[in-house]
Amino acid sequence: MMEQFHTVLTILLMATATYLTRTVGYIALRNRKLSARSMAVLEAVPGCVLISVIAPAFVSDQPADLVALAITLLAAMRLSMFPTVVIGIASAGLLRHLM
Amino acid sequence: MGNSQIDIAENPAEISAKTEMWRGVVASAPLILGVVPMALVLGAQAAQKGLTLTQVPLMTGLNFAGGSEFAAIKLWTSPPHLLLIVAMTFLVNSRHLLMGAALAPYIKHLPKRKAFPALFFMCDESWAMGMADARRRASSGISSSFSLPYYLGASAGMYLTWVFCTTLGASIGPAMGHAETYGFDMAFPAVFLVLLKGMWHGARAARPWLVSLVVAAVTYLLIPGGWYVPAGALSGIVAAFFWVEHK
Repeated sequence: MMEQFHTVLTILLMATATYLTRTVGYIALRNRKLSARSMAVLEAVPGCVLISVIAPAFVSDQPADLVALAITLLAAMRLSMFPTVVIGIASAGLLRHLM
Repeated sequence: MGNSQIDIAENPAEISAKTEMWRGVVASAPLILGVVPMALVLGAQAAQKGLTLTQVPLMTGLNFAGGSEFAAIKLWTSPPHLLLIVAMTFLVNSRHLLMGAALAPYIKHLPKRKAFPALFFMCDESWAMGMADARRRASSGISSSFSLPYYLGASAGMYLTWVFCTTLGASIGPAMGHAETYGFDMAFPAVFLVLLKGMWHGARAARPWLVSLVVAAVTYLLIPGGWYVPAGALSGIVAAFFWVEHK
């Protein structure tokens, strides 16, 4: 019960944080010119978080997972979302059985 | 085309709003197809982390920002680490700040009661479509170039597909068994790498990402728990801040 409450609270606060990102830029930045530095920092932030979240995959102790990640990285550079996800899943699944 | 017959009894403004909305729905169709597999994977993984069939649409329907939802589910524990997840959600979605600022000149003629609900549906896809359409219309001489019904039509398809397919994924996901057995967990790096490619502005601009990757990886190896995400993210942001000067 307590845990369900905690889950719903997390979801509601996530949604609030996200809605803030959608409205604050519109409210606060619409009449303002950002400095080159702020622009560069703001542009780098989402990528920094996303790559941090998947960083553990880059230091996996399973050789099969590392090879699969390399294949997925190559796929991501050339292909769109759907084929990349399929190649990622298939290469990880196969390599774990073979290696 | 069956809809060329227009009923003269209808209000002309209403007709044009309807056609504009439909134009948005049609234009977003290819993007919607691309979202389906992502939504199914997210829903399935959310269910595996213990989210219920009502909590999944609650998250995807109220938050409606895929990248942050993938990050949240990846970091999800039971009970979830509230502060970590909310802070990372904000940072992943901080790109909306710039998107909203860029959209502002196009929607400043809208009353607030329309602008604020419209902003709720601003995702990468609907934003890009709305902006591109406004620029096209502006260059062909249409005043008030931003078409709200077109943007809402494009958003509606994305939104309904996202909420429905994440819920569908949550309901059929558990039947597929443990993700690791088949390699389904590799869907996360796959999704994130494609998202990163979309944010790519050349190797120079991506150097902070490398800092984040290295710091997050080292932190992950040395410190248990979810600390590797804020550690990696913050060091990348600091690096971005200092690197700007040396241009």
